[in-house]
Amino acid sequence: MQQERAVNPYDRFPMVIVEHLIKRFGSFNALSDVNLTVARGEKIVLCGPSGSGKSTLIRCINHIEKHDYGRIVVDGVELTDRIRDINSVRCEVGMVFQSFNLFPHLSVVENCMLAPLKVRGLPQSEALDRAMALLRKVRIHDQAKKYPAQLSGGQQQRVAIARALCMQPKIMLFDEPTSALDPEMVKEVLETMVELANDGMTMVCVTHEMGFAREVADRVVFMDCGSIVEEGDPSTFFRAPNTERARVFLNQIVH
Amino acid sequence: MNSLDFSIVAQAWPYLWSGLLLSLSLTVAAFLIGMLLGTLFALVQHFELRILSQVVRSYVALMRSIPLILVLFWFFFLVPIVLGHLSGNGRPIPTGATYTALITFGLFEAAYYSEIIRVGLRAVNKGQFEACQALALSTFDTYHHVVLPQVFRVASPIILSQTIILFQDTSLVYVLSLTDLLGAASKLAQLNGRLVEMYLAAAAVYLILSSVASQFVASLRKRYAVAGTYR
Ligand SMILES: Nc1ncnc2c1ncn2[C@@H]1O[C@H](COP(=O)(O)OP(=O)(O)OP(=O)(O)O)[C@@H](O)[C@H]1O
Ligand SMILES: [Mg+2]
Repeated sequence: MQQERAVNPYDRFPMVIVEHLIKRFGSFNALSDVNLTVARGEKIVLCGPSGSGKSTLIRCINHIEKHDYGRIVVDGVELTDRIRDINSVRCEVGMVFQSFNLFPHLSVVENCMLAPLKVRGLPQSEALDRAMALLRKVRIHDQAKKYPAQLSGGQQQRVAIARALCMQPKIMLFDEPTSALDPEMVKEVLETMVELANDGMTMVCVTHEMGFAREVADRVVFMDCGSIVEEGDPSTFFRAPNTERARVFLNQIVH
Repeated sequence: MNSLDFSIVAQAWPYLWSGLLLSLSLTVAAFLIGMLLGTLFALVQHFELRILSQVVRSYVALMRSIPLILVLFWFFFLVPIVLGHLSGNGRPIPTGATYTALITFGLFEAAYYSEIIRVGLRAVNKGQFEACQALALSTFDTYHHVVLPQVFRVASPIILSQTIILFQDTSLVYVLSLTDLLGAASKLAQLNGRLVEMYLAAAAVYLILSSVASQFVASLRKRYAVAGTYR
């Protein structure tokens, strides 16, 4: 394991580098000059008011949104317009959406096997083994043959996490993974995410779950109006934010 | 008028059966051609391929605005002439009524199926495409394994309804002197003078087949309503 790691020359570099990122929708600046570095193994929680650009930022990292200016480098590969670069970045970046986005016509295990089969070119048996192993990890392997619509929201989101992990990504992006869930299901998804963090996964999570942020985040990044306004370790940030905007925001989500 | 005598229908059954077989095989063949081309047409429009999508749009509009019987005539007279020109000697090459019917129905239905599929493509949730992107699936795999299967499922009741109409429309092949179910019934009726019995028998067959198919459509609708989340 140690040796295998030493082979990768990019290992010493951060997992993600975002420099002077600008993203426009028409004439509207959704992101203006965002700079962010994510170290290997680092867990970042991204928060901020609605419309501040959190989703846009993480969606730029796997090129679901195409950025207009600036540089994004993921695991040593810079995101350009070249399909090859985009695909190689997407292979290393897993994403979990607020609305799960499972494939409704495929069973749970087929959801998990599709990309490993088609993108990684794994043989059927290996893709199946991997899918079952990861479904077991998120404790949903006994539902493997069911269809997404037959599962609860919390179960669906855990399947979505397993599906992303089946590509063996080096970093996981979460876009408000628990905000579409009923309160009683939030916990099971957060627990899964905590376990993933404890395994050493690099994570960028857009979430307002402060308990989760306190428990796993190495850094909390606060955004407003398309910029990063403040960042710091969770205990400091939640106790005594530096900026007025962060104070206002924290007051709102607490009450 | 004489009292009805349905024993005549039993005697005529083998001939009616051969007519029905033609109707059914035309329906199946036109369905396959129509779905294949219709899906392609819908994808061309969905991807907004510049010139091609305009060509397809005009084609679909044209086919949907003229009666099928006119299209049948066209193809029957035009295709041999075009083929003759293509082959170089300029003399029309007859294509045969069966092929003409097959190609015409296929091309005609393609216009209708493509509209159904085009609307279905628009109804697929944006999140499905994003999930595919996030998993690094190629555009081909995205459409092949994720998008189109969902479209076919959602649209299957409408596609089937359209196919029932197609089945009934195959009776128009009499203009090409082909003998389908209705054609067979009508020919026999003129021979034996039993118009009422023959047309009643033909109507019964259409009724039975169409209502069986409609039942199937209804069950599909129910099934996908239960499975839910198809949007
Ligand atoms: N496809 C788009 N077209 C136009 N404007 C967009 C688009 N996507 C996002 N925006 C705008 O960009 C801004 C940032 O959006 P983004 O979704 O990144 O915010 P967010 O911080 O994730 O908010 P939320 O907490 O509501 O999810 C918003 O003002 C939004 O209206
Ligand atoms: Mg968002």
